[in-house]
Amino acid sequence: AKNLHGSKKAYRTSELARLMYDESLSPADVVRKWKGADESNGAEEENGEGEEDTFFMKAKQEGTDDSEDRAIPRYDYVELEKKWTHEDNVEDLRQKFSSANLLKENAG
Amino acid sequence: MADASPPPLRFTGQKSLVHRLVLSTLTGRPVRISQIRSSSHTNPGLAPHEVSFLRLLEAITNGSAIEFSYTGTTLVYRPGLITGSVAGHGASGGVIKHEIPDTCRRGASYFLTPLCLLAPFSKAPVNVLLTGPGAITSATPAGDLSVDSVRTAILPLYAQFGITNNLELRILRRSNPGPGGKGGGGEVQLVFGHQVRLPKTLHLLNPGRVKRVRGVAYATGVAASNNARTIEAARGVLNPLVADTYVFSDVSSAPWLPAPDKANAAAKRKTGIGFGLSLVAESSTGVLYSADVASGPAGGEPPEDIGRHCAFQLLESIAQGGCVARAAAPTLLTLMAMGSEDVGRVHVGRDVLATEEVIGLGRDLRAFGASGWGLRDAEGEGGDVVVSIVGRGVGNVGRKMA
Repeated sequence: AKNLHGSKKAYRTSELARLMYDESLSPADVVRKWKGADESNGAEEENGEGEEDTFFMKAKQEGTDDSEDRAIPRYDYVELEKKWTHEDNVEDLRQKFSSANLLKENAG
Repeated sequence: MADASPPPLRFTGQKSLVHRLVLSTLTGRPVRISQIRSSSHTNPGLAPHEVSFLRLLEAITNGSAIEFSYTGTTLVYRPGLITGSVAGHGASGGVIKHEIPDTCRRGASYFLTPLCLLAPFSKAPVNVLLTGPGAITSATPAGDLSVDSVRTAILPLYAQFGITNNLELRILRRSNPGPGGKGGGGEVQLVFGHQVRLPKTLHLLNPGRVKRVRGVAYATGVAASNNARTIEAARGVLNPLVADTYVFSDVSSAPWLPAPDKANAAAKRKTGIGFGLSLVAESSTGVLYSADVASGPAGGEPPEDIGRHCAFQLLESIAQGGCVARAAAPTLLTLMAMGSEDVGRVHVGRDVLATEEVIGLGRDLRAFGASGWGLRDAEGEGGDVVVSIVGRGVGNVGRKMA
């Protein structure tokens, strides 16, 4: 089954329609599955530390966890800056602006 | 709704708590939410901002019943009618004054966006003044929009549903988060005077191209040069892409809060010092993308960073594409589900759809009796998804029953 998953193209719409109302999965799992990310990544987090540390672990999680609602997601601004100062990415985005020159000339 | 009180829908966890309460109020289904921060050792149960929202909910509805468990980890809410700011129900002079406690860490938009969702279905116009020592008008580290973005990116969404008249968000006093991210001293007034039977069915299938960017830079209690520096940095990023970029600058002094002590009962202190930027990009078809960054309560961030980060966040939001940005998706999708019994369609970017909030919202809507969403690929190279939503046709619960 895992091989099957691996070969699947990520972001298939029909796939999401199936996953979306599958109540056995949490919304986070749905997102992860649909994006085609490796499922082992998510499972790792749970068994990070020894059992005797669980008391402290929980308290630690509170500060960093994403259990609160956020209207603006947490962004890694270093990554974002890298992404949006890269020439190719900015050129791709240019199409979404009305200033874009559709005749593929130098838009300046 | 044949029987007098249908059994409450059961949910767990504090995630999308407010949105579930809103859906409960709109559909008239009681809810029971358990395990609210039950694994937390330091502060289990409802947080101050959630309690404050419940109070607000009680103020604008008539006949709501709210029960907590002893620890506050379980909540039963039986919704009443949405009456709005009717005199005699906590409103004086047609205005409900809602005081937010100073322990609140969430911005005013945390209260405003759900309130806006309820307001079109209210019996009377909604006029709420958010004030008190906890009202933060700026963006917060907890991930709230600034009130400027609510005004310029969330409220215009209602126009697409035919809700246009007499909508206003007045920012009376600005405030950034106070020390430790807690409290502020701002004041915002929401006037929502257009009540409808049902919102119009929405067909939003053309994202268009971004034609202009508008923004507000705000500085409270700090020098106005911070605004200029923020704006310049943001323009540095955006100008090569959109020439039509204009950012307003708003400078105000820090709000004073009463801080009585033994020596002086009339003592006051300043709070909510900081600065921030709200950017909104508008496309040729009226689609809005917003971005918000404000200086943290600890300080130490140069205004240039704030400006650049905000601009990058805006680009990211534009790149996600679709006709609805991430911050606006819950509002738009909920209004569509509450519309008349017809199929509405909206283009949603893949990265917007593939978020926990949106998936969770789809499930919650179905739990509250709305039909499931139809999903199919959109034509064109963008890779967007067309989400079709059938309205429930029971939009104005309050008026129907009253």
